[in-house]
Amino acid sequence: MTLPAPLSEHDLHGWVDGQLDATRAEEVAAALRASPDDAARAAAYRTQNDALREAFDPWLAEPLPAALVEAATRPEARTSADWLRYGGWAAMLVVGIALGSALGWGLRDLTLQQSGVPTTFAREAAFTHALYAVDQRRPVEVAAGDEQSLVTWLTKRTGRHAFAPDLSSAGYHLVGGRLVAGNAKPTALLMYENADKERLTLQWRPLAPGTEETAFRYDVENGVGVFYWIEDACTYAISGTIDRAKLLAVARLVYGQLVVADAALK
Amino acid sequence: MQADLPRGDLVAALPRLRRYARVLEGDFARADDLVQDTLARAWEKRALWQAGTDLRAWLFTIMHNLFVNQRALARRDARNVSLDDDDGAGLQVPVEPTQQLRVELAELLRDVERLPVEQREVVLLAGVEEMRYEDIAAALAVPIGTVMSRLSRGRERLRRMRDEAPVSLRVVRTNP
Repeated sequence: MTLPAPLSEHDLHGWVDGQLDATRAEEVAAALRASPDDAARAAAYRTQNDALREAFDPWLAEPLPAALVEAATRPEARTSADWLRYGGWAAMLVVGIALGSALGWGLRDLTLQQSGVPTTFAREAAFTHALYAVDQRRPVEVAAGDEQSLVTWLTKRTGRHAFAPDLSSAGYHLVGGRLVAGNAKPTALLMYENADKERLTLQWRPLAPGTEETAFRYDVENGVGVFYWIEDACTYAISGTIDRAKLLAVARLVYGQLVVADAALK
Repeated sequence: MQADLPRGDLVAALPRLRRYARVLEGDFARADDLVQDTLARAWEKRALWQAGTDLRAWLFTIMHNLFVNQRALARRDARNVSLDDDDGAGLQVPVEPTQQLRVELAELLRDVERLPVEQREVVLLAGVEEMRYEDIAAALAVPIGTVMSRLSRGRERLRRMRDEAPVSLRVVRTNP
Protein backbone atom coordinates (compact mmCIF):
# COMPACT_ATOMS: atom_id res chain seq x y z
CA MET A 1 0.00 0.00 0.00
CA THR A 2 1.28 3.46 -0.79
CA LEU A 3 0.81 6.39 1.50
CA PRO A 4 -1.16 9.39 0.32
CA ALA A 5 1.07 12.24 -0.83
CA PRO A 6 2.25 14.56 0.53
CA LEU A 7 3.93 12.59 3.31
CA SER A 8 3.40 13.84 6.83
CA GLU A 9 6.37 15.63 8.34
CA HIS A 10 6.42 13.07 11.11
CA ASP A 11 6.82 10.24 8.60
CA LEU A 12 9.45 12.02 6.55
CA HIS A 13 11.63 13.03 9.49
CA GLY A 14 10.97 9.73 11.22
CA TRP A 15 12.37 8.03 8.14
CA VAL A 16 15.38 10.36 8.06
CA ASP A 17 16.14 9.71 11.73
CA GLY A 18 15.41 5.99 11.63
CA GLN A 19 12.60 6.32 14.13
CA LEU A 20 9.92 4.37 12.22
CA ASP A 21 9.12 0.72 12.76
CA ALA A 22 10.06 -1.60 9.92
CA THR A 23 6.60 -1.73 8.32
CA ARG A 24 6.12 2.00 8.37
CA ALA A 25 9.65 2.59 7.12
CA GLU A 26 8.89 0.37 4.12
CA GLU A 27 5.68 2.26 3.37
CA VAL A 28 7.45 5.60 3.63
CA ALA A 29 10.30 4.39 1.43
CA ALA A 30 7.74 3.38 -1.20
CA ALA A 31 6.02 6.76 -0.91
CA LEU A 32 9.38 8.50 -1.30
CA ARG A 33 10.11 6.60 -4.47
CA ALA A 34 6.83 7.94 -5.85
CA SER A 35 7.57 11.51 -4.84
CA PRO A 36 10.89 12.90 -6.08
CA ASP A 37 10.48 16.18 -4.20
CA ASP A 38 10.02 14.47 -0.85
CA ALA A 39 12.80 12.04 -1.68
CA ALA A 40 15.18 14.91 -2.41
CA ARG A 41 14.30 16.57 0.87
CA ALA A 42 14.72 13.35 2.83
CA ALA A 43 18.11 12.73 1.23
CA ALA A 44 19.19 16.31 1.95
CA TYR A 45 18.20 15.95 5.61
CA ARG A 46 20.15 12.74 5.96
CA THR A 47 23.21 14.41 4.48
CA GLN A 48 22.59 17.28 6.87
CA ASN A 49 22.56 14.91 9.85
CA ASP A 50 25.83 13.34 8.72
CA ALA A 51 27.46 16.74 8.32
CA LEU A 52 26.21 17.90 11.71
CA ARG A 53 27.62 14.82 13.39
CA GLU A 54 30.88 15.41 11.58
CA ALA A 55 30.91 18.96 12.89
CA PHE A 56 29.74 18.29 16.43
CA ASP A 57 31.20 14.90 17.32
CA PRO A 58 34.80 16.12 17.74
CA TRP A 59 33.61 18.22 20.67
CA LEU A 60 32.88 15.02 22.56
CA ALA A 61 36.55 14.09 22.50
CA GLU A 62 37.74 17.31 24.12
CA PRO A 63 39.28 17.08 27.60
CA LEU A 64 36.86 18.14 30.32
CA PRO A 65 37.66 21.17 32.49
CA ALA A 66 38.42 20.11 36.07
CA ALA A 67 35.73 22.47 37.35
CA LEU A 68 33.03 20.56 35.52
CA VAL A 69 34.29 17.21 36.72
CA GLU A 70 34.30 18.59 40.24
CA ALA A 71 30.73 19.82 39.77
CA ALA A 72 29.68 16.28 38.84
CA THR A 73 30.67 15.08 42.30
CA ARG A 74 28.13 15.00 45.13
CA PRO A 75 28.53 18.33 46.93
CA GLU A 76 29.04 16.71 50.35
CA ALA A 77 31.77 14.51 48.96
CA ARG A 78 33.80 17.40 47.59
CA THR A 79 36.52 17.72 50.16
CA SER A 80 38.90 19.88 48.25
CA ALA A 81 40.61 20.14 44.96
CA ASP A 82 43.62 18.42 46.52
CA TRP A 83 41.67 15.23 46.70
CA LEU A 84 41.42 15.30 42.95
CA ARG A 85 45.09 15.87 42.51
CA TYR A 86 46.50 13.34 44.90
CA GLY A 87 45.73 9.73 44.38
CA GLY A 88 42.01 10.01 43.95
CA TRP A 89 42.23 9.20 40.31
CA ALA A 90 43.88 5.86 40.64
CA ALA A 91 41.39 4.80 43.29
CA MET A 92 38.51 5.87 41.11
CA LEU A 93 39.85 3.99 38.15
CA VAL A 94 39.88 0.82 40.18
CA VAL A 95 36.32 1.42 41.33
CA GLY A 96 35.30 2.33 37.81
CA ILE A 97 36.63 -0.85 36.32
CA ALA A 98 35.10 -2.87 39.12
CA LEU A 99 31.69 -1.37 38.53
CA GLY A 100 32.08 -1.76 34.80
CA SER A 101 30.40 -0.36 31.71
CA ALA A 102 28.87 3.08 32.04
CA LEU A 103 30.61 4.04 35.23
CA GLY A 104 33.90 2.76 33.96
CA TRP A 105 33.81 4.68 30.70
CA GLY A 106 33.54 8.10 32.24
CA LEU A 107 36.20 7.50 34.82
CA ARG A 108 38.61 5.97 32.40
CA ASP A 109 38.29 8.95 30.11
CA LEU A 110 38.99 11.24 32.99
CA THR A 111 41.89 9.22 34.17
CA LEU A 112 43.37 9.32 30.71
CA GLN A 113 42.93 13.04 30.47
CA GLN A 114 44.30 13.55 33.95
CA SER A 115 47.42 11.60 33.09
CA GLY A 116 47.85 13.68 29.96
CA VAL A 117 47.09 10.94 27.46
CA PRO A 118 45.44 12.37 24.40
CA THR A 119 42.11 10.59 24.04
CA THR A 120 42.25 11.98 20.57
CA PHE A 121 44.46 9.04 19.62
CA ALA A 122 41.36 7.27 18.33
CA ARG A 123 40.57 10.24 16.14
CA GLU A 124 44.09 10.46 14.80
CA ALA A 125 43.99 6.73 14.12
CA ALA A 126 40.71 7.07 12.24
CA PHE A 127 41.99 9.95 10.11
CA THR A 128 45.23 8.16 9.39
CA HIS A 129 43.27 5.06 8.44
CA ALA A 130 41.02 7.08 6.14
CA LEU A 131 44.06 8.64 4.53
CA TYR A 132 46.01 5.49 3.72
CA ALA A 133 43.36 2.77 3.45
CA VAL A 134 41.99 4.26 0.23
CA ASP A 135 45.42 4.51 -1.34
CA GLN A 136 45.60 1.79 -3.97
CA ARG A 137 49.15 2.44 -5.17
CA ARG A 138 51.07 3.23 -2.06
CA PRO A 139 49.15 2.40 1.13
CA VAL A 140 52.37 1.41 2.92
CA GLU A 141 56.04 2.33 2.84
CA VAL A 142 57.37 -1.16 3.41
CA ALA A 143 55.51 -4.13 1.98
CA ALA A 144 54.73 -7.29 3.90
CA GLY A 145 57.10 -9.32 1.68
CA ASP A 146 59.89 -7.83 3.71
CA GLU A 147 58.22 -8.40 7.08
CA GLN A 148 61.42 -8.86 9.04
CA SER A 149 62.94 -5.56 8.01
CA LEU A 150 59.54 -3.90 8.44
CA VAL A 151 59.38 -5.10 12.04
CA THR A 152 62.98 -4.13 12.72
CA TRP A 153 62.48 -0.70 11.25
CA LEU A 154 59.29 0.00 13.25
CA THR A 155 60.96 -1.25 16.42
CA LYS A 156 63.88 1.07 15.89
CA ARG A 157 61.84 4.14 15.07
CA THR A 158 59.17 3.81 17.77
CA GLY A 159 61.53 2.56 20.46
CA ARG A 160 59.23 -0.32 21.19
CA HIS A 161 59.41 -3.90 20.09
CA ALA A 162 57.18 -4.20 17.02
CA PHE A 163 55.20 -7.29 16.23
CA ALA A 164 52.86 -8.02 13.31
CA PRO A 165 49.87 -10.03 14.54
CA ASP A 166 48.64 -12.84 12.31
CA LEU A 167 45.04 -12.04 11.40
CA SER A 168 44.56 -14.80 8.85
CA SER A 169 41.97 -16.52 11.04
CA ALA A 170 39.84 -13.39 10.54
CA GLY A 171 40.55 -13.43 6.81
CA TYR A 172 43.07 -10.57 6.78
CA HIS A 173 46.65 -10.65 5.55
CA LEU A 174 49.41 -8.14 6.16
CA VAL A 175 49.90 -5.57 3.40
CA GLY A 176 52.81 -3.77 5.02
CA GLY A 177 53.53 -0.85 7.28
CA ARG A 178 54.59 2.74 7.62
CA LEU A 179 55.46 5.40 10.16
CA VAL A 180 53.05 8.21 10.93
CA ALA A 181 53.92 11.45 12.69
CA GLY A 182 52.74 11.34 16.28
CA ASN A 183 52.82 13.72 19.23
CA ALA A 184 56.29 13.16 20.64
CA LYS A 185 57.17 9.82 19.11
CA PRO A 186 56.12 8.45 15.76
CA THR A 187 53.18 6.10 15.46
CA ALA A 188 53.67 2.72 13.82
CA LEU A 189 51.07 1.55 11.36
CA LEU A 190 50.42 -1.91 9.95
CA MET A 191 47.85 -2.42 7.24
CA TYR A 192 45.86 -5.58 6.64
CA GLU A 193 43.53 -6.51 3.81
CA ASN A 194 40.99 -9.27 3.20
CA ALA A 195 39.86 -11.00 0.00
CA ASP A 196 37.24 -8.26 -0.56
CA LYS A 197 40.02 -5.65 -0.43
CA GLU A 198 38.67 -4.28 2.84
CA ARG A 199 41.49 -2.80 4.85
CA LEU A 200 42.20 -2.54 8.54
CA THR A 201 45.01 -0.63 10.17
CA LEU A 202 46.68 -1.36 13.47
CA GLN A 203 48.47 1.64 14.96
CA TRP A 204 50.45 2.00 18.14
CA ARG A 205 52.53 4.58 19.93
CA PRO A 206 54.55 4.28 23.16
CA LEU A 207 53.44 6.43 26.11
CA ALA A 208 55.17 7.53 29.29
CA PRO A 209 56.11 4.56 31.50
CA GLY A 210 53.47 3.81 34.10
CA THR A 211 50.51 5.11 32.09
CA GLU A 212 47.33 3.48 33.39
CA GLU A 213 46.07 0.63 31.28
CA THR A 214 42.58 0.65 29.89
CA ALA A 215 40.12 -1.82 28.47
CA PHE A 216 38.87 -1.56 24.90
CA ARG A 217 37.10 1.59 23.93
CA TYR A 218 35.16 2.09 20.74
CA ASP A 219 34.69 5.24 18.73
CA VAL A 220 33.48 6.11 15.27
CA GLU A 221 35.10 8.99 13.47
CA ASN A 222 34.01 9.94 9.99
CA GLY A 223 32.59 6.50 9.43
CA VAL A 224 35.78 4.74 10.55
CA GLY A 225 35.31 2.49 13.57
CA VAL A 226 38.21 2.38 16.04
CA PHE A 227 38.86 0.08 18.97
CA TYR A 228 41.64 1.45 21.14
CA TRP A 229 43.26 0.63 24.40
CA ILE A 230 46.38 1.16 26.48
CA GLU A 231 48.53 -1.75 27.48
CA ASP A 232 51.98 -1.74 28.98
CA ALA A 233 52.53 2.00 28.39
CA CYS A 234 51.59 1.82 24.77
CA THR A 235 48.39 2.99 23.11
CA TYR A 236 46.93 0.82 20.35
CA ALA A 237 44.14 1.40 17.85
CA ILE A 238 42.63 -0.90 15.30
CA SER A 239 40.57 0.90 12.67
CA GLY A 240 38.34 -0.10 9.83
CA THR A 241 35.03 0.51 8.17
CA ILE A 242 33.69 -2.96 9.01
CA ASP A 243 30.95 -3.32 11.60
CA ARG A 244 31.64 -3.06 15.26
CA ALA A 245 31.27 -6.76 16.12
CA LYS A 246 33.73 -7.82 13.41
CA LEU A 247 36.20 -5.13 14.37
CA LEU A 248 35.95 -6.16 18.00
CA ALA A 249 36.72 -9.77 17.04
CA VAL A 250 39.85 -8.58 15.25
CA ALA A 251 40.78 -6.32 18.17
CA ARG A 252 40.58 -9.29 20.52
CA LEU A 253 42.72 -11.34 18.17
CA VAL A 254 45.35 -8.58 18.04
CA TYR A 255 45.24 -8.03 21.77
CA GLY A 256 45.66 -11.73 22.54
CA GLN A 257 48.66 -12.08 20.26
CA LEU A 258 50.29 -8.91 21.57
CA VAL A 259 49.99 -10.09 25.14
CA VAL A 260 51.62 -13.38 24.23
CA ALA A 261 54.36 -11.65 22.21
CA ASP A 262 55.08 -9.17 25.02
CA ALA A 263 55.19 -11.95 27.60
CA ALA A 264 57.70 -13.82 25.44
CA LEU A 265 59.97 -10.76 25.51
CA LYS A 266 60.06 -10.51 29.28
CA MET B 1 18.93 10.26 53.30
CA GLN B 2 18.86 11.64 49.79
CA ALA B 3 19.37 9.31 46.88
CA ASP B 4 22.66 9.74 45.05
CA LEU B 5 23.06 10.48 41.40
CA PRO B 6 25.36 7.97 39.74
CA ARG B 7 28.53 10.01 39.49
CA GLY B 8 30.02 7.87 36.75
CA ASP B 9 26.97 8.38 34.57
CA LEU B 10 27.04 12.08 35.33
CA VAL B 11 30.63 12.36 34.25
CA ALA B 12 29.95 10.22 31.20
CA ALA B 13 27.15 12.62 30.25
CA LEU B 14 29.39 15.69 30.53
CA PRO B 15 30.66 15.80 26.95
CA ARG B 16 27.12 15.65 25.60
CA LEU B 17 25.89 18.21 28.11
CA ARG B 18 28.66 20.53 27.03
CA ARG B 19 27.78 20.03 23.41
CA TYR B 20 24.11 20.78 24.01
CA ALA B 21 25.09 23.85 26.03
CA ARG B 22 27.31 25.11 23.22
CA VAL B 23 24.52 24.72 20.72
CA LEU B 24 22.12 26.57 23.02
CA GLU B 25 24.50 29.36 23.99
CA GLY B 26 26.47 29.66 20.80
CA ASP B 27 29.51 30.46 22.94
CA PHE B 28 31.98 28.12 24.59
CA ALA B 29 32.61 29.99 27.84
CA ARG B 30 28.96 30.64 28.54
CA ALA B 31 28.24 27.02 27.67
CA ASP B 32 30.53 25.75 30.42
CA ASP B 33 28.82 28.07 32.89
CA LEU B 34 25.51 26.58 31.86
CA VAL B 35 26.87 23.06 32.40
CA GLN B 36 28.08 24.11 35.87
CA ASP B 37 24.65 25.50 36.72
CA THR B 38 22.96 22.39 35.37
CA LEU B 39 25.09 20.10 37.54
CA ALA B 40 24.47 22.24 40.61
CA ARG B 41 20.74 22.13 39.97
CA ALA B 42 20.84 18.39 39.35
CA TRP B 43 22.44 17.81 42.76
CA GLU B 44 19.91 20.09 44.42
CA LYS B 45 17.04 18.29 42.76
CA ARG B 46 18.50 14.83 42.93
CA ALA B 47 15.44 13.55 44.82
CA LEU B 48 13.42 14.18 41.66
CA TRP B 49 15.48 11.85 39.52
CA GLN B 50 14.14 8.34 39.32
CA ALA B 51 16.89 5.77 39.36
CA GLY B 52 16.80 3.63 36.25
CA THR B 53 15.44 6.37 34.02
CA ASP B 54 17.53 8.14 31.42
CA LEU B 55 19.86 10.44 33.33
CA ARG B 56 21.05 12.23 30.22
CA ALA B 57 17.48 13.18 29.20
CA TRP B 58 16.83 14.44 32.71
CA LEU B 59 19.98 16.58 32.61
CA PHE B 60 19.02 17.94 29.19
CA THR B 61 15.66 18.94 30.64
CA ILE B 62 17.30 20.78 33.51
CA MET B 63 19.70 22.50 31.15
CA HIS B 64 16.96 23.52 28.77
CA ASN B 65 14.88 25.00 31.60
CA LEU B 66 17.83 26.89 33.02
CA PHE B 67 18.67 28.28 29.64
CA VAL B 68 15.11 29.38 28.94
CA ASN B 69 14.83 31.00 32.38
CA GLN B 70 18.15 32.76 32.08
CA ARG B 71 17.24 34.06 28.67
CA ALA B 72 13.93 35.38 29.97
CA LEU B 73 15.75 37.14 32.82
CA ALA B 74 18.36 38.53 30.46
CA ARG B 75 15.65 39.92 28.25
CA ARG B 76 13.95 41.56 31.22
CA ASP B 77 17.24 43.09 32.32
CA ALA B 78 18.32 43.90 28.80
CA ARG B 79 18.54 47.57 29.55
CA ASN B 80 21.08 46.92 32.29
CA VAL B 81 23.35 44.70 30.27
CA SER B 82 26.51 46.38 29.10
CA LEU B 83 27.35 46.02 25.47
CA ASP B 84 30.72 44.45 26.19
CA ASP B 85 29.07 41.79 28.23
CA ASP B 86 27.43 39.82 25.53
CA ASP B 87 30.22 39.51 23.06
CA GLY B 88 30.18 35.75 22.55
CA ALA B 89 32.99 34.10 20.69
CA GLY B 90 30.55 32.02 18.63
CA LEU B 91 30.77 28.33 17.89
CA GLN B 92 34.35 27.48 17.18
CA VAL B 93 35.36 24.71 14.90
CA PRO B 94 37.13 21.84 16.59
CA VAL B 95 40.65 21.27 15.40
CA GLU B 96 40.52 19.27 12.23
CA PRO B 97 43.36 17.75 10.25
CA THR B 98 42.53 19.36 6.97
CA GLN B 99 41.96 22.93 6.00
CA GLN B 100 39.15 22.06 3.64
CA LEU B 101 37.26 20.24 6.36
CA ARG B 102 37.66 23.20 8.70
CA VAL B 103 36.22 25.64 6.24
CA GLU B 104 33.19 23.52 5.57
CA LEU B 105 32.55 22.80 9.21
CA ALA B 106 32.94 26.44 10.08
CA GLU B 107 30.34 27.33 7.50
CA LEU B 108 27.98 24.69 8.76
CA LEU B 109 28.38 25.80 12.36
CA ARG B 110 27.80 29.38 11.35
CA ASP B 111 24.57 28.38 9.64
CA VAL B 112 23.47 26.38 12.67
CA GLU B 113 24.11 29.45 14.80
CA ARG B 114 21.78 31.47 12.60
CA LEU B 115 18.86 29.16 13.36
CA PRO B 116 16.50 30.28 16.11
CA VAL B 117 17.50 28.46 19.27
CA GLU B 118 14.22 26.53 19.43
CA GLN B 119 14.96 24.98 16.05
CA ARG B 120 18.67 24.62 16.67
CA GLU B 121 18.21 22.49 19.76
CA VAL B 122 15.64 20.19 18.14
CA VAL B 123 17.85 19.71 15.07
CA LEU B 124 20.71 18.75 17.41
CA LEU B 125 18.71 16.48 19.71
CA ALA B 126 17.07 14.57 16.85
CA GLY B 127 19.87 14.54 14.30
CA VAL B 128 23.04 14.37 16.39
CA GLU B 129 21.97 13.04 19.79
CA GLU B 130 19.53 10.71 18.03
CA MET B 131 16.90 11.16 20.72
CA ARG B 132 13.39 9.86 20.06
CA TYR B 133 10.85 12.55 19.29
CA GLU B 134 8.78 11.59 22.35
CA ASP B 135 11.83 12.00 24.56
CA ILE B 136 12.64 15.37 23.03
CA ALA B 137 9.05 16.50 23.64
CA ALA B 138 9.33 15.35 27.25
CA ALA B 139 12.72 17.01 27.77
CA LEU B 140 11.55 20.33 26.34
CA ALA B 141 8.05 20.07 27.87
CA VAL B 142 6.31 20.76 24.56
CA PRO B 143 3.83 18.64 22.57
CA ILE B 144 5.34 16.29 20.03
CA GLY B 145 3.66 18.28 17.26
CA THR B 146 5.73 21.27 18.30
CA VAL B 147 8.90 19.20 18.17
CA MET B 148 8.02 18.08 14.65
CA SER B 149 7.24 21.55 13.37
CA ARG B 150 10.45 23.00 14.85
CA LEU B 151 12.46 20.14 13.39
CA SER B 152 10.80 20.59 10.06
CA ARG B 153 11.38 24.33 9.91
CA GLY B 154 14.91 24.09 11.28
CA ARG B 155 16.03 21.47 8.81
CA GLU B 156 14.44 23.18 5.86
CA ARG B 157 15.97 26.48 6.81
CA LEU B 158 19.38 24.92 7.23
CA ARG B 159 19.01 23.19 3.89
CA ARG B 160 18.18 26.45 2.14
CA MET B 161 21.14 28.19 3.77
CA ARG B 162 23.39 25.36 2.64
CA ASP B 163 21.95 25.48 -0.86
CA GLU B 164 22.88 29.13 -1.08
CA ALA B 165 26.36 28.43 0.23
CA PRO B 166 29.04 28.36 -2.44
CA VAL B 167 30.64 25.19 -1.09
CA SER B 168 28.67 21.97 -1.09
CA LEU B 169 27.44 20.52 2.18
CA ARG B 170 29.18 17.28 1.55
CA VAL B 171 32.34 17.06 3.56
CA VAL B 172 35.23 16.58 1.22
CA ARG B 173 38.26 14.88 2.59
CA THR B 174 41.58 15.98 1.21
CA ASN B 175 45.01 14.90 2.17
CA PRO B 176 46.61 17.21 4.70
